[in-house]
Amino acid sequence: MTDYIPQDYQPLLFQLVLALGFIIFTILITHVLGPRLKNAAKDAPFECGIESVGDARAPLAVRYFLIAILFVLFDVEIIFMYPWAVNFLKLGWFGFVEMLFFVTFLMAGFYYIIRKGVLNWEND
Amino acid sequence: MYPILFLSFSGLITLFLGFFQEGKWVKPATILFLAIASISAFIDWNKPGAYFFNMLQVNNFNLLLSLVILITAILIVAISDNFKEIEYAHSAEYYAIMQFSLVGAIMMTNFQSLIMLFLGVEILSVSMYVLTGTDKRNLRGNEAAIKYFLLGAFATGILLFGIAMIYGGVGAFEIDAISGTLASNQAQSLFLYIGLVMLLIGLLFKLAAAPFHFWTPDVYEGAPTIFTLFMATIVKTAVVFALYRILHQSFQNMHLSWSYILAGCIALSLIIGNLSAVKQISFKRMLAFSSISHAGFLLLGLLHVSKTADKSLLFYSVSYLLASTSAFGVLLALKNERTENGRSNENISVFKGLATRSPFLSAVLIISMLSLAGIPLTGGFWSKFYVLTDAANDQFFYLIVLALLLTAVGVYYYFKPIITVFEKSDIQEAITINPIFKIIFVLTTLGTLVLGLFPDLLYGMI
Amino acid sequence: MSLILLIPLFPLIGFLINGLGFKNIPKSLVAPIGIGASLLSFVFAFIAYSEFKNTGEVIIVKAFDWITIGDLNIPFSFQIDQLSILMLFIVTGVGTLIHLYSAGYMSHDAGYGKFFAYLNLFLFSMLLLVMGSNYLIMFIGWEGVGLCSYLLIGFWNKNSDFGDAARKAFIMNRVGDLGFLIGIFLIITHFGSLEYTQVFEMAKQYPVGSGIITAITLFLFVGAMGKSAQIPLFTWLPDAMAGPTPVSALIHAATMVTSGIYMIVRSNVLYTLSPVTLNVVAWIGVATALVAATIALFQNDIKKVLAFSTVSQLGYMFIGLGMMAYTSGFFHVITHAFFKALLFLGAGSVIHAMSDEQDITKMGGLWSKIKITAVTFLIGTIAISGIPPFAGFFSKDEILAHTFAHNKAIWVLAMLGSFITAFYMFRLFFVTFTGKFRGTQEQEHHVHESPLSMTIPLMVLAGFSIVGGFIGMPEIFHQPHFLENFLAPIYEGSESVLPGFGNLGISHETEWSLMGLSVVLALVASVFAYVVFVKNATIPKDSSELSGVKKILADKYYIDDLYLKIFSNGTSKLSKGLYNSFETKFLSPLVNSTGTLINFAGKQLTRIQNGTTGYYLFAMGISIAFILVFFLGLDVLSFFKNILGGFSK
Repeated sequence: MTDYIPQDYQPLLFQLVLALGFIIFTILITHVLGPRLKNAAKDAPFECGIESVGDARAPLAVRYFLIAILFVLFDVEIIFMYPWAVNFLKLGWFGFVEMLFFVTFLMAGFYYIIRKGVLNWEND
Repeated sequence: MYPILFLSFSGLITLFLGFFQEGKWVKPATILFLAIASISAFIDWNKPGAYFFNMLQVNNFNLLLSLVILITAILIVAISDNFKEIEYAHSAEYYAIMQFSLVGAIMMTNFQSLIMLFLGVEILSVSMYVLTGTDKRNLRGNEAAIKYFLLGAFATGILLFGIAMIYGGVGAFEIDAISGTLASNQAQSLFLYIGLVMLLIGLLFKLAAAPFHFWTPDVYEGAPTIFTLFMATIVKTAVVFALYRILHQSFQNMHLSWSYILAGCIALSLIIGNLSAVKQISFKRMLAFSSISHAGFLLLGLLHVSKTADKSLLFYSVSYLLASTSAFGVLLALKNERTENGRSNENISVFKGLATRSPFLSAVLIISMLSLAGIPLTGGFWSKFYVLTDAANDQFFYLIVLALLLTAVGVYYYFKPIITVFEKSDIQEAITINPIFKIIFVLTTLGTLVLGLFPDLLYGMI
Repeated sequence: MSLILLIPLFPLIGFLINGLGFKNIPKSLVAPIGIGASLLSFVFAFIAYSEFKNTGEVIIVKAFDWITIGDLNIPFSFQIDQLSILMLFIVTGVGTLIHLYSAGYMSHDAGYGKFFAYLNLFLFSMLLLVMGSNYLIMFIGWEGVGLCSYLLIGFWNKNSDFGDAARKAFIMNRVGDLGFLIGIFLIITHFGSLEYTQVFEMAKQYPVGSGIITAITLFLFVGAMGKSAQIPLFTWLPDAMAGPTPVSALIHAATMVTSGIYMIVRSNVLYTLSPVTLNVVAWIGVATALVAATIALFQNDIKKVLAFSTVSQLGYMFIGLGMMAYTSGFFHVITHAFFKALLFLGAGSVIHAMSDEQDITKMGGLWSKIKITAVTFLIGTIAISGIPPFAGFFSKDEILAHTFAHNKAIWVLAMLGSFITAFYMFRLFFVTFTGKFRGTQEQEHHVHESPLSMTIPLMVLAGFSIVGGFIGMPEIFHQPHFLENFLAPIYEGSESVLPGFGNLGISHETEWSLMGLSVVLALVASVFAYVVFVKNATIPKDSSELSGVKKILADKYYIDDLYLKIFSNGTSKLSKGLYNSFETKFLSPLVNSTGTLINFAGKQLTRIQNGTTGYYLFAMGISIAFILVFFLGLDVLSFFKNILGGFSK
């Protein structure tokens, strides 16, 4: 490990100051330069000129989220197979058995989901 | 190490057990699994060593901690009563999550690498977020879970930041390597410094020490009582010993830096915990504030790097978790008492007339309150005594005085439930207690008294 | 795990069974459990003795580490040596007989199970007291027997007088216990240990007359005063007769009252080091012996007479201790245990026969009606009067011989006391068992000998009262003094600080004549009693009919009234005064305002907990920033300085 001395961080500090400075500067300058108008019409929610109807917070079936999350879960787990496939020969039987374990757990989870009826869209 | 492996599998099995015969085997199976896990801890007894590329460290003291955690878990599972109070309960999942969370707790007490600590903290915390929100139809429960999650995520971030900084300063995650570097290097890197502070803050949050305690009352109150008990006992024990390992076994050379942070947190925890508890109406909320003040006392035991710190802390943890199990357990035994709006009554007033309705429960409650208050002849007295003698030092003299003064305040609010027990109540019917509850209560109460009468049975053993 | 640990465990188990389940345990099982527990302890005491005899070394059995505070380590352990073995035999042996006796005596009582539970608890505490290897365990036993005597004296708690007597015993004992406790604290601060072996080893380094040792021994002696009923803390013992008779026997004869003597014999090194304390002990002993004996002359309650005679005999034991004749004092403990238990149980048998009548003026002529009780009672009377060859003679004579050698003034007073003792004991016997029956018709009809479970203990104890003295034959009979040889190792410490401390130092001729004198005195006293109460058939009068000195004696020198006036009334006046001024004007407002302040602070603090997550996060963030700024501020500054320092380079 190379030893760093505080001086080595000079560029970093310099960049930090610059970045922060730019952000603060722009925020401030927009407030100063921009014209201000305040009235009821301006504060109303903008609905492309159409009168707003109902509440924006419409309820969605929780299953929708469940399916979405499950998709993400299994999708991400599949990603794990890519590096394994690349190193398949190098890892040999050990890797194969490990992957079998992994898939078994995955399938156990899948079975659990089905048994729990998470994927039954129709009946409640 | 073996309990970790075993519980990871048994948790999965528990999930599937929920499908058989409407899950009536889940609870006995969980107790069985925990018992096997406890026994499996003995495989490594007297065989100190490192596991998983020096990420976990096993020695007798760490195994003892795992045992304490597992046995507490058995007590808690035994009085859990299949979550009948929760609507649409998925009890198999809760039991499984409890087992997974124990994996995290044991990792936190056995870690060698800070990565393992982080994993442990996260496994435990995420489990707790979920368990807090199990009562899905209860608004307060939902609120508690979300709050706990948001604040907890914040603290986790800081914790992780701290670990990264420490790596930046030392170039290693192993606590032995850190203490080695600290011992050899005179000048300490600022990274290490900031890293330690951040790590400390992250863990103090999990311990519910002021000023990082804000989540505690809301979460303790909102969560189902059984999981509140879980948080108050197992999470606290795991975190305190994680802190012990970090502060006493790897950063002991930086004692001067962290002891002042600790001292400030102790003072705040004691003041806020004890004084806020005075005005509480809800029993769970009162215990939440009391747990903040107990966090302060536990930290007092960490204040000085002394040879007896581990003993004192273990004694404190054991006596605290025995008393807490009794106190929360009595509340659980009374969960059929409803308020006007149909919810379980969790206010102190629920104990009204308990002395005539169930002398047994009142005795259990009274002894647990006395122990929490630190009255002699209970384990609580000796635990405070040991912690205070460890901390007694010219440097923090005023802290000791403060602790003693606030203990007196503690007596005030711990006696409120005791007084309520003897008040007259309109309801006269006797309370029937589940035999399992009875066994657990007898165990915890006897344990509290035995610790109070023969402190060296435990203290001398460690 | 040694078998020795089982000795105190049996009574504890017996107590737990009978005490926790006394509502559910059938009556037929209660007594077997209680007696069995005590008998097993007795048997195991023999096992302990054989174990001890094999090695001859002091056995210390550690049950577990009890308390460790800093350098002070107090284990929960038991010590088996010559002294504790002897005490074990007395406590468990006499205790078993008394348990057996209670099975008959208490059989009609509603609280049968409770009674046996208390007896077992008492036995357990007593065993802790004598077996403990340090002062703290002794203290636990000390307090335990105090508590049990409170429970047992007030056993018939429906009668408020009995409750008062129990409270009196408890409070007086507490006064003594305070002294004992202070003594223990002094030992801790001075020796840093409470283990007998360690303390005595260290004590050997001190010179005779050391101030701190004197203080320790005096405070310990205050404890002994309370427990062994010495002036000024003796008035509780006669009142304690309110309890059932087996209790009186158990507390007065064998066990509790002798614990003070046991304690002093146990700490003999410390006492030998302090002549001042020894003097105090001897003088208090002789004063108690005389005062109690004179009071006993005019008591008409059979148990009261025995109670005052106990106080008086305890005085003799303390005289012996004060003369450094520890063995003699302890010898008297043993013989006294036999004959006083016998007398009390005999009295119980009489009371049983007389349908709960205790006044001897209403008895008389019982000799032929309850033969066994009468004969055994006579044996007890002869033994206590000091007529050879019964047990009391040897032990008392040894004490008197030592007293003669050391302090003539005390000797004269002690001889006088022994004369009075013989007189009032024979008075008691003659009035009770000879002459005409003076009770009611109904009582006369009802008089009967007690059941076997009550008479067997009487006979056993009578046997011991006859032969018990032979364990300590004086040197002049050319027999081995078994007790002295046996106990010799106990005094190894005393021997090293004051060589030859216990030598009698008088010639054989003197000893013979002393012995003769005391026998003559005892015989004269008995003849005198015979003349007064049998020949002239005098019937003792009630204190209201007496006048002058007799009335003062019958009314116990008005000591009880004095205590009531000074301590009880004084304390309540002081309390009232303090309440009216200090409490209401100063203390209450102070305490109340503290409470108000805390309540107020609590209310303000709960406002922080307002439930808004964003606010919580903000507070945490501020705290983190605060910690970083205050604890790292300087370092951060220097860090940036270092970075900027690079520019200037």
